[in-house]
Amino acid sequence: MRVKSGEIILALGFLGLMLTLYLAFLWAPSVNINAFESPEAQRIFYWHVPAAWAAFIAFAVLFVGSALWFFKRSPLGWKLHIAGSEAGLACGLMAVWSGCVWGAAEWGTPWDWEDWRLNSFGLLTLLALFLVLGRQSQPDGVESRDTFSTFGLYGFVLVPLTYVATRIWVIRHPGPVIGGDEDSSISGDMALVLLIGALSFTTLIIGHILTSIEITKFEQRMDRLQKKLDGE
Amino acid sequence: MEDKTYLSIAYLGMIFALAIWTWTVVSRSRNMEQRIIAMEESLNIKPSNADSIAELNAKNEE
Repeated sequence: MRVKSGEIILALGFLGLMLTLYLAFLWAPSVNINAFESPEAQRIFYWHVPAAWAAFIAFAVLFVGSALWFFKRSPLGWKLHIAGSEAGLACGLMAVWSGCVWGAAEWGTPWDWEDWRLNSFGLLTLLALFLVLGRQSQPDGVESRDTFSTFGLYGFVLVPLTYVATRIWVIRHPGPVIGGDEDSSISGDMALVLLIGALSFTTLIIGHILTSIEITKFEQRMDRLQKKLDGE
Repeated sequence: MEDKTYLSIAYLGMIFALAIWTWTVVSRSRNMEQRIIAMEESLNIKPSNADSIAELNAKNEE
């Protein structure tokens, strides 16, 4: 069986993540131990931040796909909707889980129900979960596609809200380390590991999106075959 | 346990989860492709990637 481009990109992304893991543990510099309750737990950011970044890309793909289906009835739009929701769910869960691990170590609690960033990102991940499970439990049709696309369109409002949350309402989640105010900076070595992590996660979800589009094509081919067999 | 041990478990758990997810997606894609090609060949049907729902919708709107 021939290896597809999506699978090669997936493998490259996965190798990049392994490299990120190695660098985060054994190469990235330690932080000032007086500045954190649990200094070693800070290393989870090399996973958490790239996962959240990749989730935002996936939610953007979901938004574009939803808009293309809803307004243009584009078959590619529906494929992007499916791929974006699945990739958004996977990366969203990675970001939420790694954030909870850090929160438990640093704050003494994995979640804060009063923090805007945590809750808006959690809602985004739940939206992706709803879209993935909803699509699997409903028969495919114009009405169900329209309903899920509408959720994909309106749900995207949470992306800019989540992005600005730590700039406007700093409650518990730390502010941005790159592109924030003049105090927000990290060392060159830390930035390099973060960059490798972001590139690896981006590569991984591009591979997943391509593979998911391929699977949706197969599902549609299967549907046509089934209809032919049923004599429709 | 030390901080790094907890962190290692969390990291390995996430890598493992991603590996399973990636493997599931790839194997699902390959299985479906094999089954579809076999069915299309046995039924002598030309492969088509058209979206039947989008086609039906376009017909209804005409």
